[in-house]
Amino acid sequence: MKNEHLTEETLQAFLLKETQEDGIATHLLACENCRARFENYQHLVAEIQKIAPETFSFDVTTVVMDKIVSYERKESSKQELILWGVLILLLLVILGFSLPFVPQIFSIFSAMPLFSNFLLFGTSIFVLVFLIADIYKAHKIEEKKIFGNNLQPTIHLPVQ
Amino acid sequence: MGNENNHFSDRELIAKILGGNTQAFAVVVKDTEKLVTQIVRKMTTNADDQKDLVQNIYLKAYQNLSSFQLKSKLSTWIGNIAYNTTVNYLQKQKIPILELDTKLETKFALTENPESEAIRAETLEIIQAEIDKLPPLYKTLITLYHLEELPNKEIAAITNLPEGTIKSYLARARKILKDNIRYF
Ligand SMILES: [Zn+2]
Repeated sequence: MKNEHLTEETLQAFLLKETQEDGIATHLLACENCRARFENYQHLVAEIQKIAPETFSFDVTTVVMDKIVSYERKESSKQELILWGVLILLLLVILGFSLPFVPQIFSIFSAMPLFSNFLLFGTSIFVLVFLIADIYKAHKIEEKKIFGNNLQPTIHLPVQ
Repeated sequence: MGNENNHFSDRELIAKILGGNTQAFAVVVKDTEKLVTQIVRKMTTNADDQKDLVQNIYLKAYQNLSSFQLKSKLSTWIGNIAYNTTVNYLQKQKIPILELDTKLETKFALTENPESEAIRAETLEIIQAEIDKLPPLYKTLITLYHLEELPNKEIAAITNLPEGTIKSYLARARKILKDNIRYF
C-alpha cells in the first residue's frame, strides 16, 4: 500500500479539503511524483479561480423586464377581452329576460310626477358617474404598479 | 447559517411579485443574473440564441413563481430552470452535452517555450481555452464549483444530477485540464 502512488481523485480531494487523511500528507512529502501532480492541480485550481465571470453584450435585467412587461400586457389584454365578452353576454341575457316587463316598468314612471322622475334619474346618474370614476382611478393605480418604471428595482434604503 | 435570512427575503420578494408588483421581479433578475449568465454562456455559443434563452428562462420563472415551494434558495430554483431550458435547447440543436472531443486527449505543449514570463501571462488564456474545449456539462460544473463556489448539494439541485456523479465528472474534468496544461 505504501508504495502505491496517490490516485488523481485522492490528490484532488486532498487539495479541495474533501479528505484530511494523514497518510496523504506524509506520502506527498516523501514522493516527488505525487507532489508534482498535486502542485499541478494546485496551480490549475488557483488559475481557474482567476477567470473573470462571463457576461453578455446585452443588459440581462433590461432584456428580461421588457419580455415580462410585454407578457403581462398580452395577458391583461386577454383578460380584458374575456371580461368584455362576459359582460356583453350578461347584458344580453338580462335584456332578453326583462323584455316582457318593459311596458310594466314604463307604466310605473308615467304614473309618477315629473319632479320625482327627475330626482330619480339625477341621483342614478350621479351615483353611476361616481362609481365609474372610482373604478378608473383604481385601474390607473394597478396599471402603474404593473407597467411603470420596471427597469429600476425598487430598493428601500434605511433612512439615516 | 445565513440561509434562513435569504429564505425570508425570498419569501417576501415572491409575495410582493405574486401580489401584482411586477417591478419586484427586477430584483430577482439582478440577484440571479450572474448565475444564469454563467450557465447559459458555458453551455451555449450562439449569441442570438443566448438572448432568447435568458428571456425564456426568466419568463418561465415568472410564470411558475406561484409553484415555487421555498424548499431551496430562489437562486438555486432559477439556476435549475436555466440549466433545464439550456439542456432542452442543446438537445433540439442535437449538441451533445457530455461527449468528449478526441482532440482533448492531445496535450498542450508548453514545455517548448523557454521564456517562463510569457508563459505565465498566457497561462490564464490557455486554461480558459482548454475549459472552452470541454463538453458543455463539464464546463458548467467547473464554473459552478470553482467560480460560483457553490457546494455540491446546490450544484446537484441545479443540474438534477446525483452528488456522486457531479464529483466524478468534476474529477474527470480537472484531470483533463491538468493533463492538457503543463506547468514547471
Ligand atoms: Zn506517490
